[in-house]
Amino acid sequence: MSNNNNNIWELAEAYLAGTMSQEDFAKLKHRLATDTAFSADFYETTDLIRAMADNGKQKRFRSMLRDIQSNPQNTQKTVKSKHIVFTPEFWRTASVAAGVAILTSTITFWSLKPSINKTVSRYNTISREVTGLKIEQAKQLRKQKQLELDLDKAKKTAPPPSDVKKTGTGFALTNNGYFVTAYHVIHDENGYGDSVYILNNNGQYFKASLVTFDAAADVAIMKVDKSGFKFGKGELPYTFSRSKAGLGTHIFTLGFPTDEIAYSEGYISGRNGFDGNNSQYTLELPVGHGQSGSPLIDAKGNILGLLTAVGTEREEKTYAVNATAITNLLHKLPDEKNIKLPKSAKIGRMSREQQIDIIEDYTLSVKVYKK
Amino acid sequence: MQSHTNTEQQLLAALAQGEREATEQIYRQNYRIINGWLLKNGGSATDADDLFQEAMVVLFSKAQSEEFRLTCSIGTYLFAISKHLWYKKLQRKSRDPIALLDNTGNDDEENDNGIAYEEDVDAHEEREAHYNQLDEALEQIGEPCRSILKAYYHQDKSMQEIAADFGYTNTDNAKTQKYKCLTRLKKIFHAM
Repeated sequence: MSNNNNNIWELAEAYLAGTMSQEDFAKLKHRLATDTAFSADFYETTDLIRAMADNGKQKRFRSMLRDIQSNPQNTQKTVKSKHIVFTPEFWRTASVAAGVAILTSTITFWSLKPSINKTVSRYNTISREVTGLKIEQAKQLRKQKQLELDLDKAKKTAPPPSDVKKTGTGFALTNNGYFVTAYHVIHDENGYGDSVYILNNNGQYFKASLVTFDAAADVAIMKVDKSGFKFGKGELPYTFSRSKAGLGTHIFTLGFPTDEIAYSEGYISGRNGFDGNNSQYTLELPVGHGQSGSPLIDAKGNILGLLTAVGTEREEKTYAVNATAITNLLHKLPDEKNIKLPKSAKIGRMSREQQIDIIEDYTLSVKVYKK
Repeated sequence: MQSHTNTEQQLLAALAQGEREATEQIYRQNYRIINGWLLKNGGSATDADDLFQEAMVVLFSKAQSEEFRLTCSIGTYLFAISKHLWYKKLQRKSRDPIALLDNTGNDDEENDNGIAYEEDVDAHEEREAHYNQLDEALEQIGEPCRSILKAYYHQDKSMQEIAADFGYTNTDNAKTQKYKCLTRLKKIFHAM
C-alpha cells in the first residue's frame, strides 16, 4: 500500500482531517514510530498540505480586507440590528401553558409530500402540533400581549408572534446562522406560519427567515435574522456525508421533543425510505414528535441525513432524508449566499459524550407561530 | 466587563473563520486610530492601508489557534502590532536601529506585552516568507496543476466542483491528479 505515490497524500489528508478509522490510525502511528524514512516523508507531506491550506485561507482573508478597504463609505452597518432578543424569562412565562398543552396533546400531523399523499395514514411526520390551548392559553395570551406592549414601548420592533403552532428541530449549516430543518415543520396545509423563531441551547430566541426549500425532499434552509449571530465558538463540528451509508450503520440524533434537548441512538435498517423512496433511509431509532428536522449523525461526526417522519401501524420506523438532499439544495443557492460546508469533522475521534456536548450548540428547536 | 470580554472573544472567533461582518467591524473600529497615529509618524495614507492590513492578518493568524486568548483588547493589540510593523519597516529602510518602544502613546499594558508583540510580528514575517516560497513553487509547476491547486486551496473549491470545472469524469480522477500535482509541488518546493 505504501508503494503507491498518491497514497501518502490521501493518508495525510485523512490524518489532518481526523477521518481515519481507529484501526488505520493505530497502524499509521506504529509505522511513524518505527519507519523513520516514512515518518520524515509523512511529516513533510502534512506540513505542505497545512501550509497550502493556511496560505489559501489567508489569501481569502486578504482579498476580503482589500474589499473592505476599498468600500470605506459602507458605514450604514453601524446601525444596529433592529431585532430584539427576547429574554428566556419572557418566553418562559409566555409559553408555560403552551408547553403543558404540547406535552399532553401531541396530535400527529400529516405530511404534505405529494409522493406519499395517498398513503399518509401510515406515515406521520414528527413535528409537534400544538392545539387545545383554551382557558390557560387565553390567560397566557393576555399576559403575553401585555409583555408585547411593554417590549414595543421599550423598542420599536415587529410584534412578537402570538402563539406556538408547531415545533421541530434544526441544525446549523454555518456558524453564522444558516440552518436546515424539515420543510413540513414550517409549512403545512395551512401554509406558512406568521413567523419562525429558533430556541437555542442557551434558552435564547431568535427570529429566522426561509432562504430556500425543497418541498418534495422535505428540506428547508433558513437563516437567523440577527446580524452577528453565532451558534457556537467556531466552524461546524460535523461534515455532511456525500455517499450513502450502509445497512447497520450506527447513528444517533439530538432533537427537541420538548424544550429540552434529547439524545437517542439507533441504526440504519433500510437503504431506502418510505415506500422505497431512495432519497431516504429507514431507521430503527426512537424519536418523539418535535424531532422533525433533527440531524442523523454517524460515529465519526458525519451528518447522514435529516429526520422527516415516523411510520405508524405498530412498526415504529423512523425515516430520514439523505444528506445529499441538503447539499444539492445548497448548490442551487446564488453565489452571494454560497455556503461552505466544512471538509472535516472536528469531532471525528471524540467520545460520544464529547461529541454531544459540542453538537448541542449547533442544534436548535424550531418554533412556528401563527395568530 | 465580563460581557465585553465575551464579545471580543466572539468577534475573534468570527474573525478566525474569515467572516466578513466581524472583520469589517474590527476594521472600522480600529482603522482611524492607527491611520491617525501613522500620519503623525511619517507614514502616508497608502502606508496606513498596507500597515493596517498586515496587522489584521497577524491578528487573523493568531486567532486561528484555539488556545489563543488576547491578554488585552483587540484595539490595543492591533495598535501595538501596527507600531511594531512600522518600526521594523523604518528600521529596514534606514538601517539605523530605532528604539522599538518609544513614548508615543504606550501604556503600561503594552510595555508588559512588548516582547510578545515582537514575537508575533517575527512569526508573521517568517510565515509570509514561507508562503511566498510556496507561491513561487506554485508558479513554476505548470498547468493544469497550478489551476487545480489554486482552485482547491486558494479558492476553497470542493473536489466535486474541480472535477466538473476541469472536465474529470469523476471526483476520484480529479483527486488522483491533485495528488500528482502535490507531489510535483513538493519536489519544486524542496529544491528551492
